[in-house]
Amino acid sequence: MQEQAFRFGRARHLVGIAGLPSSAARETVGVIVLNAGLVHRIGPFRLHVEMTRRLNAQGYPTLRFDLSTIGDSAASGESQTRHQQICADVADAMKLLGEQAACQRFVLIGLCSGSQSAHMVACSDARVAGAVFLDGYAYRTLGYHLRYYVPRLLDVKRWLGVFSRRRRAQQGSGEPAFTVAPLPQAVVRADLAGMLERGLKLCLIYSGGISRYFNHARQFRECFGGLVRHPDVFTRFFKEADHTYILTGDRNRLLEQIERWLAQNFPVTAGASS
Amino acid sequence: MSARGEAELPFYFGPERALFGLFHAAGTPARKAVLLCPPLGQDQIRCHRLYRQLAQALVADGVAVLRFDYYGTGDSAGDSAEVDWERCIADAATAAAELRARSGIDQVFAFGARLGASIALASAAQARFAGVVAWDPVLDGRAYVEQLDALQLALRIDRARFMQPRKETDVAAQWLGFAISDSLRQQIAGLHFKRPAAPTLLLESLPPDRPRAWNGFVVDAATIRSLQPPTPWDDPRRLEVAILSHPLIQAVTQHVREVA
Repeated sequence: MQEQAFRFGRARHLVGIAGLPSSAARETVGVIVLNAGLVHRIGPFRLHVEMTRRLNAQGYPTLRFDLSTIGDSAASGESQTRHQQICADVADAMKLLGEQAACQRFVLIGLCSGSQSAHMVACSDARVAGAVFLDGYAYRTLGYHLRYYVPRLLDVKRWLGVFSRRRRAQQGSGEPAFTVAPLPQAVVRADLAGMLERGLKLCLIYSGGISRYFNHARQFRECFGGLVRHPDVFTRFFKEADHTYILTGDRNRLLEQIERWLAQNFPVTAGASS
Repeated sequence: MSARGEAELPFYFGPERALFGLFHAAGTPARKAVLLCPPLGQDQIRCHRLYRQLAQALVADGVAVLRFDYYGTGDSAGDSAEVDWERCIADAATAAAELRARSGIDQVFAFGARLGASIALASAAQARFAGVVAWDPVLDGRAYVEQLDALQLALRIDRARFMQPRKETDVAAQWLGFAISDSLRQQIAGLHFKRPAAPTLLLESLPPDRPRAWNGFVVDAATIRSLQPPTPWDDPRRLEVAILSHPLIQAVTQHVREVA
């Protein structure tokens, strides 16, 4: 199977790479991978290339593409909020993959800000059947603070280093910090509940790389309550991995997990192969 | 949609259409053409935005540009572990031929950063480059390999990245996020340049504490130009921060404008 490069979208402003298994059935979901931060469509350390090619080999049509103004994609020229742009860009991506592979339902995969993009589209677009949130929304909980502070309070060496670290912190790095304010916890919880009511299947995989605010598998329940026990919700905490899966072994374990989740929840229709 | 975006065409080319390319057509009939040779590994991702900005600046000057990915990198076919130095050189020559065919211009210049500059220099004869602009090229392969090995080893115990230190086996056979084959390691370790095979402008912006290997390479000091500020190529704290440089774009576009 060869991948194909496309310029597409309502203003032909988007660039993406489609992987189109030769005999993908109409019922098979298409998988769309969204930008992680400002990294272009290949993903951190080429994660999205490995991911889409492995999914192609399983029979899933895929598209990795750049949202407006990221990577090789241009601006659409419209007057829209970033939220509207992302929803419209992903709608364009679903239209393209639908035309190329005849799929009608889609699974969105996003890491970090890509997870936020997937979340906002999954809230409103009926064509989205599932989503994989990698290091998506999370909130410090009482459990988080206990797990974080109790071992430190009992560690004498840490106490000795407190003052020197505080001095360094006061000096600051001098680097500007650009971050996106997360949605409030209650909003995200309601959004996820709404997705489940609409029949979406959700996969939340978080890494040890976000230990500043997430440090244990229990924290899924602490953040989102009973809905993580919903049969259509899958959660996994890869404590050993970093945020962008820099090690090939960690990347491999992540991709195996995503493949398994897709196979269980959106099996490739018989007859489809790469 | 801007005309600029429409003029940037993504496509696959080369043997078995294995190479990804993005052709930036000049708005007017192009007078010159430049092939942008990307670096390898994480440098390629960090430089992606800069390469796009450079391409657009060159296009504004009436220059046709091709950006591309070597086999095993970016959107091109192949796994990261399959990257091969000789294949990279052959891919650069294939890309130069593609640029000539698409632009209708035979005189092609090359630009590259770090190992991309090394590939542009190594492929200059095969690709028939009329000139090369090399930004902080890797000229001493052995030192570069030692440096990457040290950075990879330090990654194992990077507390800003991992909750717990990783085992040595976890970080083996990789350089900063990318699987690396023994053969590529040996090929890069064996890199050594003396004289460039095409007229070369060397743009240098290494931090002051980094050793330069320019001596014995460029015979005319006038072909070396320093850029400020220094580029943090090997700062592990900025491993996932984009490399951007307005002075670099100015220097390259000016040079291409001035060369015959």
